[in-house]
Amino acid sequence: MATNFNNRALAVSQKVYGWLLRAYPPAHREEYGPAMAQLFRDQCRDAWNEAQGWGLFKLWLRVLPDLVSTSIRERLDALNERKSMNEKIASLSHDRTTPTAIFIRVFIAVFLITVIAATLITFILPESYASTARIKLESDAPPVAGQPSYDPYFIQTEFEIIQSQLVLNPVIDKLKLNVDWGKKYFAGQTLTASQTLEILKQRLQLAPVKNTKLIAITVYSDDRQEAAQIANAIAEAYRDYRVNSHAELKAKGIVVLQQQYKIQEEQIHTAQSDVESLRQQLKSAGDVAASQSPQEQPYWDKKRDLSQLLDLHKSLFSKIEAEQLDAQMPQTALVQIIDQAELGRAPVRPNKTLNIVIGAVAGGFLGLMAGAASALVSFKFGNRARKNAAAT
Amino acid sequence: MAKPKTDPESLLPLTPAVFHVLLALAGGERHGYAIMQEVANHTDGQIKMGPGTLYGTVKRLLEAQLIEESDERPDPHLDDERRRYYRLSGVGEQVVRAEAQRYAQIVELARGKKLIRKPA
Repeated sequence: MATNFNNRALAVSQKVYGWLLRAYPPAHREEYGPAMAQLFRDQCRDAWNEAQGWGLFKLWLRVLPDLVSTSIRERLDALNERKSMNEKIASLSHDRTTPTAIFIRVFIAVFLITVIAATLITFILPESYASTARIKLESDAPPVAGQPSYDPYFIQTEFEIIQSQLVLNPVIDKLKLNVDWGKKYFAGQTLTASQTLEILKQRLQLAPVKNTKLIAITVYSDDRQEAAQIANAIAEAYRDYRVNSHAELKAKGIVVLQQQYKIQEEQIHTAQSDVESLRQQLKSAGDVAASQSPQEQPYWDKKRDLSQLLDLHKSLFSKIEAEQLDAQMPQTALVQIIDQAELGRAPVRPNKTLNIVIGAVAGGFLGLMAGAASALVSFKFGNRARKNAAAT
Repeated sequence: MAKPKTDPESLLPLTPAVFHVLLALAGGERHGYAIMQEVANHTDGQIKMGPGTLYGTVKRLLEAQLIEESDERPDPHLDDERRRYYRLSGVGEQVVRAEAQRYAQIVELARGKKLIRKPA
């Protein structure tokens, strides 16, 4: 592992330096480029042997300002082709330390260091793929008369359910993520359910699709196939959870209705006995229903109650029939998987362009600050030196 | 092309990078990495020349004919054939001597003013 990183760090450094040699004029690069690259390779090897990554970092801190200042000098010389040989020789003893030159050198050095550091970090960071499955949600709550059907908490509640153990644990079990991730990241040690859940949550991102009932389930992984598998498994586990919950709720409701139905049956049986008893009493006293005398009133009241009970019983029976039929229907409308997750074609993390742009902006800002400070210091020391020289 | 000046005095004082490279080559012909190592050793690691400075200096010294590229290899079996070796030219030797002499005079001057002592 250390050897791989060693090779990779050295290879990346050399590749970047080889690319940076483009800063020199073509003629200089053609003549001295291979020798410079070879010298840098030797220096990389020494720096790594001396202090590994830190040595390499210190080497870059030395080499970048050197590269910036000498490439500018070579470019200027290349532009000034008419320079005489004597002028070229004179440049061997020429000192270039004006505040402006220092500002430019420091600015470019800091800028390049920051951009290179951002680039190196971006290329060393592990790549990550993303896969997204999209699902359509419907609420299973019955509409309430007089109230709006929109539930502002519905989507947020479902987000939390998707990220809960109820949905994610079946995914972990189905894909054996605790074993696979244990092998991959923890030297073969099988992870606990909570550890796996924690990692899975970190890799999971949920987002509503604007102005729709759709939710995007995005999973990130260094393995594109794993990302797609997990995203699809989460969508399926959530759909199963919703369907099963709905069926369970319906079954419980039917049980309650059936209990109520039995109670009503007993009440009807009692009421029928009472009506029959009253009718027998009235029959022995005279003709029933010939005229509704005050003595017959209890009989008619009981009969009306019985009739109401029979109506209720009938409607309860219909409701039970309807609920049983509903429970037998597949509840696919609750959650529909609109888009299955596909394999990611290219890594989405790190965002190389964004990182390098941020590095360039930060490098420009830092370069301005450092360049201005260096030029100011140089200017003040230069003035002091000139005053001292004048005094002596 | 104008002929370069050959009067060593006219080239003085040399920049530190030029002087150190010439000093390193005063000990015999060397390739770039060896020059860099020699300069670092001479200065106790205070001066570690980057590839840009080293080969920029080499380029100017070649143009000024103070050094020349050598086709010979000290030991072809022990070295990379792609390395380029450099050695002092006659003029280069005169220039480095003159610069060393100039430094020696400065050192003497400093000793005369008791700024530095003779090494024990």
